[in-house]
Amino acid sequence: MDRPGLREGRNMEQAGTVTGPAHHEEIDWDRAADSSEFQELESRRRSFVLPATIFFVCWYFGFIILAGYAPGFMGESIYEGFTVGYLIALSQFVMVWVLAGLYLRQANRVFDPLARRVAERTPGADAYIGDGPDAGAGGRRTGPSTPTGDGEQSDREVTS
Amino acid sequence: MTVPLAEVNVEALSIFAVIVAITLAITYWASQRTKDATTFWAAGRGISGAQNGFAIAGDYMSAASFLGIAGLIFLFGFDGFLYSVGFLVAFLVVLFLLAERMRNSGKFTMADVLSFRLNERPARVAAALGTLVVAGFYLIAQMVGAGALINALVGINFSVAVIATGCFMLVYVVFGGMLATTWVQIIKAILLMSATIVLSVWVLGKIGWNPVDLFNRAEAQSDDGNAYLEPGLRFDNPIDTVSLGLGLVLGTAGLPHILMRFFTVPDAKAARTSVVWAVGLIGAFYVMTTFLGFGARAILGEAGATGGVDEAGNLAAPLLAQEVGGGDGTFGGDAFLAIIAAVAFATILAVVAGLVISASGAVAHDVWSNVVRKGQDSEHEEVYVARIAALSIGAIAIAIAVAGGSDLNVSYMVGLAFAVAASANFPALLLALTWKRFNTTGAVAGVLCGVISSVGLVLLGPDVRSDPLINLSQPGIISIPIGFLGCILGTLLSKEESKAERQFEELHVRSETGIGAERALEGAGLTPRPRRPRRPVPAGRAAPTT
Repeated sequence: MDRPGLREGRNMEQAGTVTGPAHHEEIDWDRAADSSEFQELESRRRSFVLPATIFFVCWYFGFIILAGYAPGFMGESIYEGFTVGYLIALSQFVMVWVLAGLYLRQANRVFDPLARRVAERTPGADAYIGDGPDAGAGGRRTGPSTPTGDGEQSDREVTS
Repeated sequence: MTVPLAEVNVEALSIFAVIVAITLAITYWASQRTKDATTFWAAGRGISGAQNGFAIAGDYMSAASFLGIAGLIFLFGFDGFLYSVGFLVAFLVVLFLLAERMRNSGKFTMADVLSFRLNERPARVAAALGTLVVAGFYLIAQMVGAGALINALVGINFSVAVIATGCFMLVYVVFGGMLATTWVQIIKAILLMSATIVLSVWVLGKIGWNPVDLFNRAEAQSDDGNAYLEPGLRFDNPIDTVSLGLGLVLGTAGLPHILMRFFTVPDAKAARTSVVWAVGLIGAFYVMTTFLGFGARAILGEAGATGGVDEAGNLAAPLLAQEVGGGDGTFGGDAFLAIIAAVAFATILAVVAGLVISASGAVAHDVWSNVVRKGQDSEHEEVYVARIAALSIGAIAIAIAVAGGSDLNVSYMVGLAFAVAASANFPALLLALTWKRFNTTGAVAGVLCGVISSVGLVLLGPDVRSDPLINLSQPGIISIPIGFLGCILGTLLSKEESKAERQFEELHVRSETGIGAERALEGAGLTPRPRRPRRPVPAGRAAPTT
């Protein structure tokens, strides 16, 4: 076990086994942060999360503010007893499902491969490359992940 | 059509007994596997994304969701549904900002993430305080709710019901740790979803399969007439509506028992998948609260309010089940009432177990191991202290619930828990992960400002005082900005912390890529046993579980 980070906690270096998350001084974090892969990961993530957040904040608080300040409008009937307010409320559910689904797709297709490339280019980070806990840990089988490599592809099939 | 208050409901008790027997068997299985801290706190990080999605749903949907929202819609119409929407939209904040980052950066508790690059001891104490305040209010609210419900539905004395609920909760946590808690939550989520689907379909059938007609009938049954379908019956002050919306959406992202769930999965991808599963389940549930709440109004009518349903409306859903099942005294009605009562009981058990394990994490992992013992104790000692902490926290919660009795106002305590979570925990966590200059003083100041302002506003507000100093029943709109302001001013007015800034890049890269993240234990989880067939994907959305 010469690679740090494979074992839980800091039990190799320190007496206590119950401290917080292990720090990894051996990895050059500044270099990883400056790498073009990480910069791209950041900007790709931001270009999804920022507009999506602005959208849901506006849509949700628009709904809440209308509910607070325009109860008459919200109570107007569209079809029999089905009101404007209820329609907008239902649209919030659809919004959450659609945004969550889009984020999942984007993360599996774009963010994960980029994160993997950051790890590949960062010395000392190779223990964390791969799809879940099977990777790089000597046949470690802990989770529901498929073996390294295939997982990403099968995910693409599922989500697309 | 009143619930038999005096006599003990034998059917409901038998279903309780079955649920308790199954969960105790799981706890025994889990206790055999719980030999180290990672299994006790994080189930060895072997919970799959889909399993964790069900567990999050089970952890999140409390009796306040199941019975409380049905009751609020029954009583106040549209305003009750605002809760449903807010509780769900909140998960977008969790998904976009926190779920994966928590998994990548943390180990067992929220404080692990907050203290990653800050001065460990003050940051941990602050996070532990935020955790304990939120979990404490939430826990007492759930215990009181449990006692009142079991008393009304099953006919068992309030104190006995609280003590029994508390004892089962403690058995799960003390012996089975996170592994048992997780499976109790998964089972509860399945039970709750099934019961709600059956009840909703039954209600729809009863009104002739026309959902729109539900609103008309509900309106016709309400003394408020058209106002019943408009906002404003519960909150006459529009600021309260906006404040509630803000508190619900940001509060979820600061609930320690929900955030702790992300440490139980093997990696960030599973954390993300689990939120999407949870969003599918929780969303479907909250859409169905329409049928529960408006259905109770349409079918039980105003008579329900003056007859069986209590003031808080908590009995609307069980009485609705009794009515659609055939009514009081019929076999169908009594059986359905018993099933709903048992599901409500399972619901409360799953939530309180999650709360107790997160609170004991704050005491044992944060305060004891890392502040008092400075990380020099053994895993064995930490788990031992955790069990004692869980017992003490549980005993205190039981004592307060029994002493306060069923008169304690449950809804304002849950609202307070969300307000503290949104004002104290969320700002500090978010800024620790994203703002390089953020430092220890900022974290401590932010948590303190958030806790004090939200608790203070509630104590001065109309829910507590008959002559409120501040006429605001939902503190979020003031206390959340105060929490953020505390973080920002505390940081800017204190000296820069070179360690915090130097280690920012480590936290930054780690939280976004998973490099350096804590690994799962070997052999944790149900694999390598053969996998069971997949459950159907919620809401037509593909959620990869492989």
